Amino acid sequence: MRILALIKNSLDITEIKVDPNSGELRLAGVPERIGAIDKNVVEAAVRLKETYGGSACGISFGPAEARDNFKDVLAMGLDEIVLIEDSTKGEASAGLTVRALKAAVRALGAFDLILCGFASDDGYTYQTGPRLAERLGLPLVSYARAIEASEGKVRVEQDLEDCIQLVAAPLPCIISIAEEAFPPRRTTLMDAIKAKKKPISIWRREDHLELEEAFRNAPASAPLLEKTGVIVRRKQQIFKSSDLCATADQLIDCLISDGILTEENA
Amino acid sequence: MMPNHRDALVFCEDPHLLTALVGKAQQVCASLDGQVGVLLIQETDLALAASAGASRILQPSAPVQFDSAEPVIALLCRAIEETHPRIVLVGATRLGLEVAPRVAERLGLDYLPWATGIDVDAGSSSARASAQLYSGLGRVEYQFDGPTLVLSAAVGAFQEDGVVEIPEGEPQRLILEAAGLSAGVRVLSARPKSAGNESLEHSPVIIDLGQGVRADDGLEIYRELAGLLHGQMASTRPVAVERNWFPEWLGLSGFTVSPRLCLTLGVAGAVQHMIGIRGSERIAAVNNDESAAIFSQCDYGIVADLYAFLTVFIDRLKARKVRLNETRI
Repeated sequence: MRILALIKNSLDITEIKVDPNSGELRLAGVPERIGAIDKNVVEAAVRLKETYGGSACGISFGPAEARDNFKDVLAMGLDEIVLIEDSTKGEASAGLTVRALKAAVRALGAFDLILCGFASDDGYTYQTGPRLAERLGLPLVSYARAIEASEGKVRVEQDLEDCIQLVAAPLPCIISIAEEAFPPRRTTLMDAIKAKKKPISIWRREDHLELEEAFRNAPASAPLLEKTGVIVRRKQQIFKSSDLCATADQLIDCLISDGILTEENA
Repeated sequence: MMPNHRDALVFCEDPHLLTALVGKAQQVCASLDGQVGVLLIQETDLALAASAGASRILQPSAPVQFDSAEPVIALLCRAIEETHPRIVLVGATRLGLEVAPRVAERLGLDYLPWATGIDVDAGSSSARASAQLYSGLGRVEYQFDGPTLVLSAAVGAFQEDGVVEIPEGEPQRLILEAAGLSAGVRVLSARPKSAGNESLEHSPVIIDLGQGVRADDGLEIYRELAGLLHGQMASTRPVAVERNWFPEWLGLSGFTVSPRLCLTLGVAGAVQHMIGIRGSERIAAVNNDESAAIFSQCDYGIVADLYAFLTVFIDRLKARKVRLNETRI
């Protein structure tokens, strides 16, 4: 089975701060890494490779510096990684991203399965899998929690709001992995040493005709009018009296005056 | 039908969210002198769509297997091609979040996920729309110049949901050809999830349990509190996963809620969790650790032993006959 795993160099959004005065998002110095969701994707790909044989190749669209963040996922068991260099410096539209990914997928030849996260750790918009399915004309199974393959088909447990749904899809297809499914394995020092020998290829738009076309023909991003941090101002009224009864009454009074609670006796 | 690009088309399989989206769509349409159409996937939704304020109801010509996304995507594409709406508003449910970008990609339309605001001017061909960024830490606003803009929006996304007006008379019916809607993905079976967090996103009060809650005392006291306030219990990720108390949790990797009151109990206030509850109208926190990060991110903070305080709090709620103020939604 030949598996392609889509992985993204994401911002660690827990490190993003908002300037309390200007409301500006402080993005400088926020670390980038392969996101937690994408590590689930890699774990799923490696488990399938271990079960059914074959290979697992990572594909990423991002800056050339992202290659420094691939050590862990190569140690987990990906065989190689193709990094499509994003020459737009992070301004690529979702339409461009999937056109570039499609070009790389086509250039890599026949495959059985493309795995991706249900969303990325930073953007969290869940567009790449669905849009790529459209571009490639492939079936998409979203929010997978378990995957089994046999005779040119996959059976997938889909994690929906109110149920776990078992579905079947023909290969090749795209599967997006649900949150927290396939927790990533711990890697050993030996895994890390082996990972150093695995290839990371960087593909630039000028090196591949299809990539060049993808960059040229993709729709432009909509004009950005504003980008700000969201400041949620809270009252921060702190009660720390030892008189719990009085404190409870104060809390109730506050919530009544906010219109959230109401008192029948009043 | 002539393209007018004045109408709104709404699709959402969740009835609560559908009503909110129709309200927002009516607000947008009012300035465009357009109509709100609702794409229905099941016959049983008819009364709902009418009561939600749709002027036009779009339905498939024959019953369609709707438990996979593909037929929904094909039908929504047909509905857009037939009615040429200015905006297409899709509920940001798991189904909707797959459907909306695929429809946009298939038809070459602009798409904005997690929308929080839409501003369409009748005199201008461009629209401005805002959305949340980085799971709500930031906000972006874009200008869209295409004829049709697809947006997805979650519960409580818009600052002001429009007040739904019920149009006079029967809604107009439009039947969409359902032939040839094949699906590559076939549904074999489904098993319901345990109903722990069923109505979390719609609950006006959330009792949010953190690791400061003792593992061996059971959930009874929290359940009682939730009952008194018409709330639902939920938790942080460690409590859900390590104690196996709930199938899902609140936070970055779980649910995002925006209740009127989120009462956190023994929650430390880590960013990953706060992202899930920061949309709450009020956050009240009880924690015995005065230095906990939650106290700088809440409206009301109680520094006290959790159990001692809760016992008294529940007694006072009962004694004063305090309940949720349901007159203000």
